[in-house]
Amino acid sequence: MPALENTFLFVEPQQHYLDYGSVVLHDIISKNRRAGQIITELIGPDANPDRVKQELGRMSPIVTCGIGHGNETTYTVECTAKLFDTSSTDLNLLADKVVSLCSCLTAVELGPAIIDAEAVAYTGYKTEFWFYIGADPGTTRAVQSPFLAEFEFVASLLQGKNTSSARADQLKKYDEEINYWISGDGKNDTDASELSRILEMNKANSVFLGEGSVQPSPSAPTILVSGTTPWLWIGMAATMSFLIYREIKGKSY
Amino acid sequence: MTKQVVSNWFSKLGQSEKNLPLLIYQGIVYTPQAVYDEVMRGSPLGDALQSLIEKQSFGTSAEDEQTVAKLRLTQIMRTKPDKPLFATLSGKVFTPSELLGEIENNTDIGRQWVGTEISHMRRIVSVR
Repeated sequence: MPALENTFLFVEPQQHYLDYGSVVLHDIISKNRRAGQIITELIGPDANPDRVKQELGRMSPIVTCGIGHGNETTYTVECTAKLFDTSSTDLNLLADKVVSLCSCLTAVELGPAIIDAEAVAYTGYKTEFWFYIGADPGTTRAVQSPFLAEFEFVASLLQGKNTSSARADQLKKYDEEINYWISGDGKNDTDASELSRILEMNKANSVFLGEGSVQPSPSAPTILVSGTTPWLWIGMAATMSFLIYREIKGKSY
Repeated sequence: MTKQVVSNWFSKLGQSEKNLPLLIYQGIVYTPQAVYDEVMRGSPLGDALQSLIEKQSFGTSAEDEQTVAKLRLTQIMRTKPDKPLFATLSGKVFTPSELLGEIENNTDIGRQWVGTEISHMRRIVSVR
């Protein structure tokens, strides 16, 4: 089955510190989802290999995004259970899809294998993806910051942008977060030193492969309504009324 | 040359950055605070340090860059509570002292942090 527009699958495991990223991803989905999109979030125990593969087959989502531990050849989900590796015979489940893996090292071998399996685009990391665990998940800007930059890619896809624009937005968000900790409002935060460096490492190791023109969630047709539109219609109606009145008046003579 | 360049640069840095070693001039390491003080004093040394800031240069060799980067990371990590603060999505967790051990032992992780620190120094000296 070809990948379906406006259909998104998110994989959000919780254990082994993965809740630090999953809570941010969940929040980003809530803030950026639009009417008409079909969104499935597999959270905690539901983020297991069988369920993820079942949903990939059932939904055929055009975007699949997940956080999980990984290495050069392997991406794992909840309880570090393997979802895919370079030798998986079912990588074709990712064909025609945009695949975004927030994980370590998968850009070395697994990412190219996913593209070879005919995914249209892939994002991931070629070395370690770092994050900060100095406070509980989701409680401070410091623990969220690396994931705010990482998940800007899917935020932009949810907003209707294509893969190239979403990638540009992600890199721009990295710079915004780095500048926040170096010379912005966060520069005197006690965690500023660590965060600026973590973000710089993650940005330098972030990888995009595939096509830039894929638009997973094209805008629905809309009627343009601006503040001036009612006045335009009133003006046109008044002009027409005057012309009709003059015509009738002219005929009455 | 105007002192305003250094003054503006210095004011944009966070407090922790102001006291980390950054520039090497004639074999001596200077923090942004020391650079600022020297430039405001109007000394010949201040002029030389200001010139480095304007050129966005550390004034060091590649070997010196590595040394300064390690000094900076050591200074940062020693001010942090020694509890797990850093994690990766390959399942690794580090305390500041464990991370310093990676840097001292020149492991892949240590080299990644040192390389990033050198890039970070470039970014700091380029703040405008």
